[in-house]
Amino acid sequence: MTKYAMVVDLNRCQGCRACMEACKVENNTAEGVFWMHVFRFETGEFPDTRQSYLPRPCMHCDNAPCVKVCPVGARYKREDGLVLTDFERCIGCRYCELACPYGVNYFNWRKPADSYFLDWGDTDIQAATGGAIPPYRNPDLDEPQGAERRMTAGGGHHKGVMEKCTFCVHRVEKGMLPACVTTCPVAALRFGDVEDAASPVSKFLREHEHFRLLEETGTEPSVFYVGGNPPGSETRQIETIEVGV
Amino acid sequence: MAVRTTTPGLPYGVGRLTTAWKAFVAIAAAVVALGLYAFLREVTQGMRVTGLRNLGTGGGATWGLYITFVVYFIGVSFAGITIAALIRLFDLRHLRPLARMAEVLTVVALVLGAFAIVVDLGQPVRGVINLFRYARPQSPFFGTFALVLAGYFFASLVYLYLGSRRDAATMAREPTRLQGLHRFVAAGYGDTPAERERHRRASFWLALAILPLLVIAHSTLGFVFGLQIGRPGWYSALQAPGFVVLAGVSGIGLLIVLAAIVRRTCGGEDCLTERVFAWLGRFLLVLLLVYVYFLATELLTGTYAAGEREVDVTRQLLTGDYAWIFWASVALLVLPLGVLAWQALSRRWSIGLLVASGVAVNLAAIGKRYLIAVPSQTHGQLLPYEAGSYAPTWIEYAVVAGLLALGALVIALFMKFIPIIELPDESREEVTADA
Amino acid sequence: MRRWWTWGMVIAGGALMTISYFFLAAPWGEDTVANSDPRLEFAPLLFVIGVIVAFSAAVVYELMPDRTDE
Repeated sequence: MTKYAMVVDLNRCQGCRACMEACKVENNTAEGVFWMHVFRFETGEFPDTRQSYLPRPCMHCDNAPCVKVCPVGARYKREDGLVLTDFERCIGCRYCELACPYGVNYFNWRKPADSYFLDWGDTDIQAATGGAIPPYRNPDLDEPQGAERRMTAGGGHHKGVMEKCTFCVHRVEKGMLPACVTTCPVAALRFGDVEDAASPVSKFLREHEHFRLLEETGTEPSVFYVGGNPPGSETRQIETIEVGV
Repeated sequence: MAVRTTTPGLPYGVGRLTTAWKAFVAIAAAVVALGLYAFLREVTQGMRVTGLRNLGTGGGATWGLYITFVVYFIGVSFAGITIAALIRLFDLRHLRPLARMAEVLTVVALVLGAFAIVVDLGQPVRGVINLFRYARPQSPFFGTFALVLAGYFFASLVYLYLGSRRDAATMAREPTRLQGLHRFVAAGYGDTPAERERHRRASFWLALAILPLLVIAHSTLGFVFGLQIGRPGWYSALQAPGFVVLAGVSGIGLLIVLAAIVRRTCGGEDCLTERVFAWLGRFLLVLLLVYVYFLATELLTGTYAAGEREVDVTRQLLTGDYAWIFWASVALLVLPLGVLAWQALSRRWSIGLLVASGVAVNLAAIGKRYLIAVPSQTHGQLLPYEAGSYAPTWIEYAVVAGLLALGALVIALFMKFIPIIELPDESREEVTADA
Repeated sequence: MRRWWTWGMVIAGGALMTISYFFLAAPWGEDTVANSDPRLEFAPLLFVIGVIVAFSAAVVYELMPDRTDE
């Protein structure tokens, strides 16, 4: 049985945020929605401060609190480990957002078309650049995914529904890697099947000490961190996002 | 038969539309219209017109004023049906006049609670359909939706209807414009001893069936919050019991206010005696004592030894962003506690003070519900996000005002069709006098 | 007659509630795709109907005329 997991090498991550941008372009998320988010942390007192970066996608937990609380089964867990949201069934109660200890859920507060990152429909730009800009919107985002045939790929489909990182389910279904993993310039992100002992991710995990975030909550996350330390009581964010929504 | 009336015609102002009543209805209808307009804005433009925002990177709270009032309304409904059921189960004769008022309060509050949930959904129409289609019992939301709204609401409606038949039959004897309606509601009630016995038995068993249903329903409402390990300040075994007790406090407070208003319009001491208010006051006092005890326990635990994030949330309540709401709510609970205790001990009850206490504890309940919902979202992140903030917008205030006005409107309309106070039962009193 | 109807409705309502809650709604157990769907769509509506039938028994008990009445 396949079980997907992501491994983040904190020794390599240098905070370029290319993964955040790749995720946004691939999944068409709206303004202020960060399925992949990279924290910039600082510990210590000036002048002995240390900075670090921590990418935070959805953890796709094995014991996911968001799946437990969804009243209509729009948020569900697949056998291959992915936790997905059916945006055609979601009623927008936002209970999953409250249940998640990691803060990875995003609600579409307004018509997403009003706040897309890229001007998908601007014909002038399209003509001037020969179709290169706006970039290609992946039609897979509008297709049902997986054996269960549910509408789970991509974001910004309707107002009033929830969304979060899907480990790029529409890419994984085709045997590709998630957009963030492919784009990272320093290969800090790895993705693969941890049930397969011979896969590169499994080998990497065996060879390196690793931790997961908030393990004490019992969520059994599927994102492993190698190198660095889990954020502690003295860790603080020093580069916050000003969300315009 | 002699029925108490202040003017000729139907008792307790049924069918008589006074100018004051008409003015009240007009104002309430206007507020309802405003609320509806605000809701339509929200549906067409998306929920960004509220002050709600995403947690974590969004720097906001995702459940705010609407959820506060969902919990508040469902809480208020608890007291109504509990009192009505207790009156039947323990045959508390002197409290009979309150029974219908309490039942109406329950039914209206539950409808408002259901509406408050629907206005909080991102996809309201899809929400209502999908809840009936896909609702999962594993989610605490299911318990709130299915048991509370369907079970408890329908049970209370049946209770209200069956209890209204006798009075409807009495009023159907008068040839008024409402006679057709009264005959329909009475549905052939003949007031024979056999019918009264059947009604007594049916009410008894209904009350017995409703009480466990509502304890479960309110507990699942508490579980919606108390089972979330990801939200410091919510994850607590006391959430469910605390919800139940605060529900009782706010419900009885509101019942006191409603009873006082009705008493004003129906003729004072004749229809609702001071003894009834004294009983309500004592019940409120006991529940307040229990709730203040729960509050103290939670505070002590939160400040003495708690997870780091819980301490953070508690600090925000005591001295931080939410301190003014917290201390105001505490004052609005403790002051009425003192006033009620003094009245209970001196055995002199002032209806004015009781009404003030009733209003105060309801404001405190709203504040407390708000404090349960919001600080654990803005300041309760387990990962080091920055603290957030939340302030409701006029849309949220308008929708909530519209809901409150709708409740007042429905009760005001009800009062003019069926007497809000149960008609005294002379025939039963005659029987007991003989026996 | 009335007694039969009353008891019948209570039992039918209770049965409908129990069956739709435990056997027709989304199954309990591990979080899987299958457990996110009800076994029968609109099972929660059946649950609600069961509640309505069970509590309507009280109305039937009070309203239904019966030959045993004087």
